[in-house]
Amino acid sequence: MRLAMLHRAALCLLALLPLAAAGASAGEAPPGQALFRRHCGICHLQGGTGTFMLGRRLGDENALLETRADLAGAYVRTVVRNGIQSMPRFSRVELPDADLARIVQYLAGTQPH
Amino acid sequence: MKLILPPGLSERGLNRALEAFAAVTGRDWVLRTDEDRETYLDVYAPGNEASHAPSAAVAPASAEEVQAIVRLANEHRVPLWPISRGKNFGYGGAAPRMPGCVVLDLGRMKRILEVNERYGYCVVEPGVGFYDLHDHLQAHNLPLWLSIPGNGWGSVVGNALERGFSATPYGDHAAQICGMEVVLPGGELLQTGMGAMSRGATGPLFHHGFGPSWDQMFVQSNYGVVTKMGMWLMPAPETTLSMSMKLPDPEDLGWLVDVLAPLRLRGIVNHNVSVQGCMASATMSSQRSDWYQGEGALPDSVLRAIMAKHDVGWWNFTLRLYGDPEVNEANARLIQKAFAARTTLPFTITRWSRAEAGNNGGPSPGVFPLQIVNWHGGRGGHLGFSPVLPPDGKLVVEQLRLTRQRFREAGIDYSGTFYISGRHVINVNLIIYDRDNAGMTQRVRGLFRALVRDSAAAGYAEYRTHLSYMDEVAATFDFNAHALRRLNETVKDALDPNGILAPGRNGIWPARYRGQRGSG
Repeated sequence: MRLAMLHRAALCLLALLPLAAAGASAGEAPPGQALFRRHCGICHLQGGTGTFMLGRRLGDENALLETRADLAGAYVRTVVRNGIQSMPRFSRVELPDADLARIVQYLAGTQPH
Repeated sequence: MKLILPPGLSERGLNRALEAFAAVTGRDWVLRTDEDRETYLDVYAPGNEASHAPSAAVAPASAEEVQAIVRLANEHRVPLWPISRGKNFGYGGAAPRMPGCVVLDLGRMKRILEVNERYGYCVVEPGVGFYDLHDHLQAHNLPLWLSIPGNGWGSVVGNALERGFSATPYGDHAAQICGMEVVLPGGELLQTGMGAMSRGATGPLFHHGFGPSWDQMFVQSNYGVVTKMGMWLMPAPETTLSMSMKLPDPEDLGWLVDVLAPLRLRGIVNHNVSVQGCMASATMSSQRSDWYQGEGALPDSVLRAIMAKHDVGWWNFTLRLYGDPEVNEANARLIQKAFAARTTLPFTITRWSRAEAGNNGGPSPGVFPLQIVNWHGGRGGHLGFSPVLPPDGKLVVEQLRLTRQRFREAGIDYSGTFYISGRHVINVNLIIYDRDNAGMTQRVRGLFRALVRDSAAAGYAEYRTHLSYMDEVAATFDFNAHALRRLNETVKDALDPNGILAPGRNGIWPARYRGQRGSG
């Protein structure tokens, strides 16, 4: 069943998240990547609902945010704080400005500010 | 969006309060820009987001800071709306019932204070999410299983305080609460149960204390701000045995309830069983346009096409047996015998063993069910209408028939799940809509009100509801000219004379704002 497969894919990825985060804190990954996976990865890794919807809207080649080269920092910041389509907004309590800046830097390859 | 003030408070008065809050938390944690306010709106609102817009938010880091803010809120007469992580999607998210409240965001309080493997409990702060607790159990290789609701993004404490649930042996999350630390509306700090002793050693172990037992008083209420909570966790079982079945017709729900409820009542099945309609698979993995381009509710022929393509039944369920393999196998035989008296449909059986898997197993959090809001494309939204029914097949099928009829009349696709217990059935009906389609959201609001009315006429009410319908649902608890409301509000006024905590939550209005009942 396709749904079950999607669930399994998502759950397998989610099971990896703690390891990814732990690796980041040990200095093995950029902090922006660890923060992205922690806060955004629940929807935006392979098998996630955000990836599924971006694939439908923009094609599979644009579905995974981590592989995109066309994300502008200001756009990422705006989407996170204002939401888009069915994506909820993130408050500064859930994702403080400094952490968001690192995620922006990771996704857009720009300086934090 | 423009600033919306609470009734009776000037912008100057609000600003004075926010300055006072900033002296407690630091200026960074008073969130008052237009963008800040918007992050607390109900992202899936079935109407105007402004109906439940906050004026600001403040985020304390400790119970002591919560106490200070609550005292200042009394002094400045500023109403607060406490949230844990604000992921109460489908019920209002982080938004307050009464517009203009200042959101008291407890998301920075995210300490896991204790996880006790021996006795199977944790003590956590409100900002701890299911992901956080899951990661903690994994990182420390603790053989305890979480019970996680469909949306795993939220707070462990917040979900229990909303009476969230899941189809697990510990799935009644409010029932797992054992001991709380609470800031009362006057700012006083309280420990409940056995934790009320200065040297209490059994707070998270025994549900009650000496005299009245207050934990449940703070569930779905506005009588205090819960700043710590003990929650029981299930010891990881040695093995599990899962039994799944697909049922072909909507009316099969009736006999299924009549077979499952006694098994649940006798403890042969020790968790509530989630019976999902075929639409669940479609809404979580596709969009409406994949199946149908027409107006009105999906015709039965499309539902049959979904069933065929996804290889699902009209109803689908999995029940799980936990623990000793010999006991599980014996119970599986009893279950098969009970089903054989009603059907020749086969079970699909799978087994899991901790020893063979080499890990503790257990559920992982996920958010994939939120995918449903994309059903129509665009800016989606969803509401849950979830009445509690008796576990009687005939009555449940009648409720199903009437509910589907209402959905058809409104031109909304029906998607229902029934959680079957031994003494009740919770029927979660998902109402999914396109927020940018004004005609559709208007029909959704009419549908919701019709469902509340129909259910009340049959003697049923929801276990939980969206902000916009709290007064309507509360009004259906009308025995003796609303004696329950009078009790709730007598308690409210005694504890919170200035009405500063969550006015209107679950239909409980303090005297100061009682005129707001029915607004929004």
